[in-house]
Amino acid sequence: MIVKDAVCPFCGCLCDDIEVEVEGNRVVAVTNACELGMTKFMGEKRMKNPILRDGNRWKDITYDEAIRYAADMLLSAERPLLYGWSGTHGEAQCVGVHMAELIHGVIDNTSSVCHGPSILAIQEVGHPGCTLGVVKNRADLVIYWGSNPIDAHPRHLSRYTRYAEGFFLENAFRDRKVIVVDVRKTETANIADEFIQIKPGGDYAVLSALRAIVQGKVDTIPRTVAGVTRAQLVRVANLCKSAKFGAVYFGLGLTMTQGKYKNIRNAIELISELNRHTKFTISAMRGHYNVYGSNEVNTWMTGYPFGIDFSRGIAFYNPGETTAVDILARKECDAALIVGSDPAAHFPRRCLEHLADIPVVQLDPYPNATTAFCNVQIPVAVTGIDAEGTAYRMDGVPIRTRRVLSTDYLSDEEVLSRMYALMQEAS
Amino acid sequence: MTELLVKNACVIDPLRGINGEVMDIAIRNGKIVEEVSDAAEVVDARGMLTMPGGIDSHTHICGTKVNFGRYMSPEDMRAGRTPRQGAMHATSGYSVPTTYGNSYRYSVMGYTTLLEGAMAPLEARHTHEEFSYTPLQDTMANTLFDGNWGILEAIRDGDTKRVAAIIAWTLSAVKGFGVKLTNPGGTEAWQWGKNVTCIRDPVPYFEVTPAEIIRSVVEANELLHLPHSVHLHCNNLGTPGNYTCTLGSFGLIPDLNKKRQTLYATHVQFHAYGGSGWKDFCSKSEPIANYVNMRPQIVIDMGQVMFGRTTTMTADGPMEFNLYRLHHDKWSNHDVELETGSGIIPVIYRRKNLVNSIMWAIGLELALLTKSPWQCLLTTDNPNGAPFVKYPEIIALLMSKRYRDAEFATVHPDTESRVPLPAIERELDWHEIAVMTRAGGARALGIQDLGKGHLAPGADADVAIYPLRIDEVDPAAEYQKVIDGFSQTEYTIKRGRVVARRGECLVHGSNATFWVRPKVPENYDMGKDPDFIEKFDRYYTVRMRNYPVQDEYLTRSRCIETEADL
Amino acid sequence: MKVTLAMKPMTKGFIPIEAESIVPKNFLSGTDLSVWRGNRELRLDEAFSVSVEGSADRAEDVEVVLSGDTCRLKRVGEYMDAGRITVLGGIGMHCGNFMSGGTIEVHGNADGWLGREMAGGTIVCRGDVADYCASGYRGGRKGMKGGTVEVFGRAGDFLAESLAGGTVVVHGDAGDMAGAEIHSGTLVVHGNCSRPAANMKGGSCYVYGTARGMIPTFRKVGTVQHEGRTLIQFTGDLANRGKGNLFVKDYEYLD
Repeated sequence: MIVKDAVCPFCGCLCDDIEVEVEGNRVVAVTNACELGMTKFMGEKRMKNPILRDGNRWKDITYDEAIRYAADMLLSAERPLLYGWSGTHGEAQCVGVHMAELIHGVIDNTSSVCHGPSILAIQEVGHPGCTLGVVKNRADLVIYWGSNPIDAHPRHLSRYTRYAEGFFLENAFRDRKVIVVDVRKTETANIADEFIQIKPGGDYAVLSALRAIVQGKVDTIPRTVAGVTRAQLVRVANLCKSAKFGAVYFGLGLTMTQGKYKNIRNAIELISELNRHTKFTISAMRGHYNVYGSNEVNTWMTGYPFGIDFSRGIAFYNPGETTAVDILARKECDAALIVGSDPAAHFPRRCLEHLADIPVVQLDPYPNATTAFCNVQIPVAVTGIDAEGTAYRMDGVPIRTRRVLSTDYLSDEEVLSRMYALMQEAS
Repeated sequence: MTELLVKNACVIDPLRGINGEVMDIAIRNGKIVEEVSDAAEVVDARGMLTMPGGIDSHTHICGTKVNFGRYMSPEDMRAGRTPRQGAMHATSGYSVPTTYGNSYRYSVMGYTTLLEGAMAPLEARHTHEEFSYTPLQDTMANTLFDGNWGILEAIRDGDTKRVAAIIAWTLSAVKGFGVKLTNPGGTEAWQWGKNVTCIRDPVPYFEVTPAEIIRSVVEANELLHLPHSVHLHCNNLGTPGNYTCTLGSFGLIPDLNKKRQTLYATHVQFHAYGGSGWKDFCSKSEPIANYVNMRPQIVIDMGQVMFGRTTTMTADGPMEFNLYRLHHDKWSNHDVELETGSGIIPVIYRRKNLVNSIMWAIGLELALLTKSPWQCLLTTDNPNGAPFVKYPEIIALLMSKRYRDAEFATVHPDTESRVPLPAIERELDWHEIAVMTRAGGARALGIQDLGKGHLAPGADADVAIYPLRIDEVDPAAEYQKVIDGFSQTEYTIKRGRVVARRGECLVHGSNATFWVRPKVPENYDMGKDPDFIEKFDRYYTVRMRNYPVQDEYLTRSRCIETEADL
Repeated sequence: MKVTLAMKPMTKGFIPIEAESIVPKNFLSGTDLSVWRGNRELRLDEAFSVSVEGSADRAEDVEVVLSGDTCRLKRVGEYMDAGRITVLGGIGMHCGNFMSGGTIEVHGNADGWLGREMAGGTIVCRGDVADYCASGYRGGRKGMKGGTVEVFGRAGDFLAESLAGGTVVVHGDAGDMAGAEIHSGTLVVHGNCSRPAANMKGGSCYVYGTARGMIPTFRKVGTVQHEGRTLIQFTGDLANRGKGNLFVKDYEYLD
């Protein structure tokens, strides 16, 4: 059987043109996906049933036991942390928010370690953006700033920019210019028309300089700014102003380097400035396929995109304080539920030390780095493979993922709903 | 079987011609019935003002841009936070509350049905997701067609039936309710950073004018026999002198429908400006209202501005950029491929600001100068003119000349020479308010036959009981009592259950969503049209099979089927 | 009246305690107050040994002295309008937020967001302050609007972000992005700092040491004498059409 137009649950591109060939309830071939997506569809070895840590070994337990364990753990905690959420569907995320609200916990998603700074910047100056198809059909100038799509979002270039067809571009490949800005010459830089190499930590200065140059204030700018010559900056500013439609896509090279959200703020203010001259948009290259969905769900339900603390009943938001990395590093939580992410693979050691000290339950189909920190792990169906549900693409377009296999695994939503029901009974 | 009997209600039910009659209302299984058994639960209304549940015929509560308004505004979110309590979830936000915040606050004010004013088809799934977290109101979404490429091309080709066919396919696919045009043509031009100034400017590349778009889509809307008329946000919003553009747009509209208007023009306050610039900015509510008075085919809503801080959000991207350049605060913009766009900025309307004071006056003037309340509905274009929680104050202003004068004394002193408001003596009565806040909305949206906006047997049992004795309160003098009374119902009944009582919501609820599926002949089924499919595949970034909103997204689906004349 | 609150040893690990009730005026009506540890409400005397000496009729005459391990005590002095709070050790986040009057003195270090959105009064910190001292809230336009914050140690990053009024003085070094987005008011850093006054719109920022990673969009005006020092004056941030004044003893571009 071939499932057409399947939705890839890997990166924020959320490609929805995947063909998956299934034989005997096993994926045997995947067409259209990039390598990252293909690997995800082909799957690894899944965990068979929930497990409970028992001294130095694991003991198999039932779903009922595992769910009860998690509910009791969270109910007795004084400051439970519910973290992850970007690797699951929106319906599960909604249950997570209700749960955090009920037990007066903290709910945070992986944006606090990827594009959280982008969100903080947007909260200061807004976000001139658009859907990916607007860029595909119109943009004659695309700038990748601190992002390397060839590695992280392999089909971004072919579906939306460099190699994509565009309604208003006669010969899209020829008519569309690509600029790459980075601290090193990445693979994406190799296919660019212009490469701007910035000294590490220099993005902010370069962005300020570009803003001034776009306003015509060239004279004040030093001869070089963070390793970039003024002449190149002037040339790039002119390229931007003379474009009919420009689009900037930035990545962790801008959000997670010195200055963090101020870099993004400066980039957004450059784009707002350019809109006085022509049309320009800017967007984040979101990582996980549904990290944006988690921001959306949190926002309509709590008012805030991530890092929401319900300890006091009302929602309190203060990234740097109410975000998972900060809470763990300060040892401020006493239990953790992890859903749809693998913090042990990404978090600083200080955070993991605390994770090792507190009870942890994880919902994840596979054994992963976080498994080692768990008291209980509950395997679930994979959204987009054996579970369906809503995901939001990096540009905010919501797509319902398809189920390509049917298995007996419960979805995240089902497991969490049962957990939530137990908690409601108890409180 | 659940039964409820509301006794001793002082009912105003304009669609049934009931005006202040004390009577009982019988409810069984969520519907109004002739009578109930003795076992029915009894709610004693004790002579309080009782009306059909409120209907907001134009509000922004759910979807991509609304949520972005929240996302970018933690400073607004913290302004209105409540914890989880009883059946109520936690809420946040003042001008753009969370979905629960919207739902609870509307419910406490007696509102039971809401029309989301703008939904981009590509992002419809988002709107529907938020609808299901707006549990205490029935919902429906205006669907944006202002920059739809297929429609612009069909108009260029003079093919109105194809326009209708694309609307039919899209409404069915995205489970939309009405046809919305926001700055028609302007949102497409804005994807190049351009705009159209009025209805005769051609849209770049497509070479059709807003006038052609409006006329053609209005005709297509009637070919499809949609319950609601075309819902128009005119070109040129918010600019001095734009009233001529508004009158020009109204002038395009023939009278094509016997049951309701042919054009619903929204937030007309923002489109009733005179002057050649901000220096001589003034009210042109009189020519607009006079025109509407002569044209039964047009219904407008106020788009009232109230002083204080709020967030503006609209599909009108270029207008928001202009506002941003005025305020230089934060600015968000979101263009949607092949369809439309949107923009968001926070604003503060100040009494000390002349322009803001004039805007405030214009909204009231439109309501007072439009003779028939059926033709001018009460809105703030929530949250653009003000958050909807200001409705009770607006009602009081419309009912009391004294209150208006008191407020007028606090606005910018030059306002007097720029607006007719001080000379208007009219004070609306309870019945007129009932029309503007429920009955008129039901008729304009075309949902009265679906049991909305009235309390006849068979209607949905959505009832608002306000702690107001209309025989005792003199609204002209006791305007504070009017404000208090409309701010918080004694009981809000939704689908036959008491959902809110004196400010507290009592049940979790589940919304129903109204949407339209026009039936078209096979040769007008765009799902099978080779040219439509090819363009979709080449230029959208979502596959056509993944575009329609699945049934899973509608908690309670109320599909309205129509027979198209194609 | 003097209220002494001696923090009892924490029973439950490192969970912070939120104590916005610790404001001088609240003690005029007794000590029946509560604080929160995570999601649990505690009586004041469950968290502190409480002693009261003397009495007072107005908040101005109330001094609250905090002792013990108060480093994880958050929101002390929130919305304080009069009186005095003395913290003998260090203090947790959000001390003196929204404060409009009175004095807070911290003898140890202060954690993040000290004096956030402060409108008046005085905060003195004898030790170091963490990030976002005298700053604003996420998404808000205005940070601190009035009053004085004086820090004798060092300051973290984003010191006085979005400053809109009042005076902030740091005697040691400050971190990155000191005085970003200043609208008005005055920031003085006696030591060095990185990228001061980025995107400033108005107001004044003084750096008596070296400004590292100087933002390239400030225009040099000349040198001025200021309190016995020779400083180089800049105006900017031009990128933001700003008209602020930045004075530095010395600067380095990242060129």
